[in-house]
Amino acid sequence: MIGITRASLLMVALLVLAPLVVEAHHAASMFEAEKEVTVTGVVKEFQYTNPHSWLLVDVTNKDGSMTTWGFEAEGPSTLMRAGIRKSDFATGTKLTITGHPMKNGQPAASWIKAVRADGVEFNPRLRTGNPTPAPAGNDGAVPSASSSAAPAR
Amino acid sequence: MLKQWVVFAFLVIASPLLIAQTTRQGSQQGGAPRPAQTPTEWQRKHDMVLKYRSLEDYYNALKKEAASVPKAPLPDWSGIWTADSVDSFGNCLGGSQCYFRPGPGGVTPKLTPVAMAELKSGEEKTAKGLIYDENLSTCGPAGFPRWLTEPFLREQIVTPDQTYLLTEQANEIRRVYTDGRGHTPEADRYPLPEGDSIGFWNGQKLVIHTNQLQSRPMGRNQPMQSEKMETVEIWEKTDANNIVVDVWLFDPRLYLEPWYVQRRYTQVPNPDKSMRIRYWDCSENPNNDVTKTQEGGTDFKGFTFTDKSKNQPNH
Repeated sequence: MIGITRASLLMVALLVLAPLVVEAHHAASMFEAEKEVTVTGVVKEFQYTNPHSWLLVDVTNKDGSMTTWGFEAEGPSTLMRAGIRKSDFATGTKLTITGHPMKNGQPAASWIKAVRADGVEFNPRLRTGNPTPAPAGNDGAVPSASSSAAPAR
Repeated sequence: MLKQWVVFAFLVIASPLLIAQTTRQGSQQGGAPRPAQTPTEWQRKHDMVLKYRSLEDYYNALKKEAASVPKAPLPDWSGIWTADSVDSFGNCLGGSQCYFRPGPGGVTPKLTPVAMAELKSGEEKTAKGLIYDENLSTCGPAGFPRWLTEPFLREQIVTPDQTYLLTEQANEIRRVYTDGRGHTPEADRYPLPEGDSIGFWNGQKLVIHTNQLQSRPMGRNQPMQSEKMETVEIWEKTDANNIVVDVWLFDPRLYLEPWYVQRRYTQVPNPDKSMRIRYWDCSENPNNDVTKTQEGGTDFKGFTFTDKSKNQPNH
């Protein structure tokens, strides 16, 4: 029989009701988990690195100026499992990309999905050949694979 | 008071169901993972160490039993493996309260007041978004036993005298000596992130005892383990795609009696052999530099694409 005390009540409450703490190289408290930002531009560079990869996208603003956005994902092995290779985003590739933006307004975000101009969609947290989302990455979000009619990679 | 009991009863009943639900969702992501443990099986394994004075005594008893077991060929544990196809961050992955959650039947670990206080403190920080990883954020090791819960890729290299257990994350390697040597003599011991591991084969099961561990957090905003933490693990490849690890751990700073968890790893499909484990280096890409904020949270130090004075990635 389990001993029931105020302490055990507290512990169980903490364990069960706790927010889901996610794990990677760093915490994700710098991103707005409840917000999304979508931009259209061209790939400046795909930094396919551990522990995180960064897809840098040049975006032309309404006033004609240019802003480089950075979209963070997990490292190469997670991207490989999602079917995303370095060659999928060669410099100059046109795309529309969505992520959870930074809280401080910098032009960076946690990558949710990217759709190239050819219509192919890349979701860094999907497994290739498996429609079920992989465990959430560094922001706790599990994007929907069925939210777009674009072919997914 | 009645209200508290009703809430408690709900939590005890609901928690394993919630966890099981998470596990089932995770199970859909891998090949064909084994079913999660039944409460009865979990309880049997949890209880089997309680008659021993220490986990080292338990390990020695297992070793004595194994002496009469005929020697078997070493198992093939090759390939690339992961925990994140059968587990989730909401359950056990990444040390997320893995070692303090109730077992499948709702049994909770018997914790010290120190552990309870640190769990509460950690939860309060997490609720405020104050999360910083003192180890992984600089590519330092997660350390053991948190190592068992880490996501991403793994490899196991079995040789007659030594087994190497590798995780991709932060390039952590555990060496398990199976050539009959004991632990380092007590006078020469010093604490290590992965500790000192010795083991033996019982048929095709690898039994490991680990001590000499460092005092370090068992996960983000998780209680601190002490240098007195010790563990026993039994690793077994149950079929072509599954490795199951029974883990008993005890640290008098945190627990009033040994606690038991089961970890499962599945083989990552790699038909074209393109999947490879690569080195982790936090200095490779300056865009990955993070810092601890004054409040105790995490933030980036700056980006190469916004701050032109920052160096470009070294690739």
